[in-house]
Amino acid sequence: MAQPAVQDNPSRTDPAGSDDAFPSRWRRFGGSESGFHPWIIRITVLAATLLMWWLVTKLELVKPLYLPTPGSVWNAFVLANTDHPVAPGVDRMVRGAQNYYLWEHLLASLQRIGIGVGAAIIFGIPLGLLMSTVKWIGIVTEPYLNFLRSLPPLGYIGLLIVWFGIGDTSKVWLLFLAAFPPITMATISGVRGVREDQINAVLTLGASRRQSLTTVMVPATLPEVLNGIRVAVGFAWTTVVAAELNNGIPGIGGLAYAAGTELKTPLTIACIIVIGIAAVALDGLIKLLEKLLVPWRGKA
Amino acid sequence: MLRPTTLAIGVTTATLALTLAGCGVESGREASTSKETKCPWTPDKSVTTSARIAYQKIPNADLVVKDLSVLKACMPNAKIKYSNFASGGDVVQAYGSKSVDIGLMGSSPATIALSEPLNLPVSVVWIHDVIGTAESLVVRDKSVNDLKGLKGKTIAVPFGSTAHFSLLQALQDDDMDQAKDVKLINLEPEKMAAAWQGKQIDAAWVWDPVLSELKKTGQVVLSSEDTAEAGKPTYDLGTASNDFVQKNPAFMKQWAKAQDYGVKMLTDDPEKASESIAVELGVSPEDAQKLFEGYEYLPAAQQADQDHLGKKMSEDLFATSKFLFGQGSIDKVAAPTVYADGVDAGPAEEAAK
Repeated sequence: MAQPAVQDNPSRTDPAGSDDAFPSRWRRFGGSESGFHPWIIRITVLAATLLMWWLVTKLELVKPLYLPTPGSVWNAFVLANTDHPVAPGVDRMVRGAQNYYLWEHLLASLQRIGIGVGAAIIFGIPLGLLMSTVKWIGIVTEPYLNFLRSLPPLGYIGLLIVWFGIGDTSKVWLLFLAAFPPITMATISGVRGVREDQINAVLTLGASRRQSLTTVMVPATLPEVLNGIRVAVGFAWTTVVAAELNNGIPGIGGLAYAAGTELKTPLTIACIIVIGIAAVALDGLIKLLEKLLVPWRGKA
Repeated sequence: MLRPTTLAIGVTTATLALTLAGCGVESGREASTSKETKCPWTPDKSVTTSARIAYQKIPNADLVVKDLSVLKACMPNAKIKYSNFASGGDVVQAYGSKSVDIGLMGSSPATIALSEPLNLPVSVVWIHDVIGTAESLVVRDKSVNDLKGLKGKTIAVPFGSTAHFSLLQALQDDDMDQAKDVKLINLEPEKMAAAWQGKQIDAAWVWDPVLSELKKTGQVVLSSEDTAEAGKPTYDLGTASNDFVQKNPAFMKQWAKAQDYGVKMLTDDPEKASESIAVELGVSPEDAQKLFEGYEYLPAAQQADQDHLGKKMSEDLFATSKFLFGQGSIDKVAAPTVYADGVDAGPAEEAAK
């Protein structure tokens, strides 16, 4: 059995030179001239997953209530985006799902996330700056920030409802509370990461305090802050279902929950896929922003 | 360096503006695809109340009224906002934050609302339905034909619900101890299907759509109709905040008339009513109509009599409070007068005139 072990690893004995074997392999995965482009790999895996899914449901290994067919999920997705009759052969038309189109549900959630994270950015960054530059504020507020950060949103949504009602206010508050701690933490760590000698250097060169802030501090903290915003948006997505458990229609999280309680599994899965894709797309957008705003990131 | 930055800021601002302001999605939209409804009686144009109504997806006249926009048709100058809730407990919470004026909840949550520690200033003003076979005990083992056969078995029920109340009443009537003879577990309906499939539960007292799902592989041995006949009925009730009722008698009259209209449609023209229910529940009208069998719907005149809102309802709420106290859901059983004051037959009487 020793022979196959050697065969398994032909690159080791590659005459081209063992030095180069590993890097060249990685380069191939990295997406260059030859071989597997990462997108080809990703699409293959996706197709294989879909095929597996289709096969499992086709062979009826699992009851459709637990895992519906890809076709029925697609069907639910289409119905949720169109005006359709309430049942085949009935005149009465209904709009989308729960009286809203799916994209409207998504848009409603995006609005809440936008406002919640927007407020978190406006509040979180100055708080982080204060906490990292004024010592006593940092000492006083840090435990509370850590306390808040570790609370599960499902635990205190009930409290927010009693305080702010069942409308959008309580939902936006929840998203805000989930989103601002990571931004603040990132700002703090960004400021702390600024090298003192760099500031001293510009000061010696005759820069004013303000100039040292705009030319050194801000560019040096910005990558961390943007990263914090990315994390915060991720948190906001995971919190949005909790926020929309009560009176969450329209809202993609609320729709996923409502579909679940009505045992409409295909629609639930369609919602989950939409949430996932929207979250990845939003993350990609922020990454792009990062590239444009802080092109020097990782090149220091 | 400057150009990509400007571009990035431009993109962000545009995205934000688009999501925040551009195309807002308002909540509480009514089904605009339903046909224009005419008020079945002379509309009351003098009502300018703004009302926030909490509804649940239970097949009764409340959904018919909502789908056909009867309230809007009969009070063209009133502002009406519907919010959907998943359970009576959530509606109670919304009352607590003063976010609703009128709301539907089961008789158990209604009793919780009236009792310590909440003591919410709300009243029961309507009986949307008397729960019958809509809430039933399904058993997986088909050789079990009665409750006694479930000795030592696991029964799932959502705690604090009307189904929980019915189950405990049934156990009591069969001289079974809920702590020793059976194992009760608290489970939300949508999670029961999976537990059933995984054989983690032997029986469940539950409602649709989960009930129909479990019935496919199990059999019904008891229902809330049986416990109602045994003198312990459960209801889905219409509640309203006292302040709202006091300030808006004209609105309440129109509201009760609309509900009464819906009830009559359910009993006299179920085919038409089933279409509205189907739209709200997202099922076919045919399936919706089957659901009606599980409930009893009462017209306003009957609601106002001594057997219902007139007198018996307060006794039923009092009985429910004793059960809830035993469960630790309320801090104490209030005096019978509290539950009597918590029932207001006024709107039903007005609608019956």
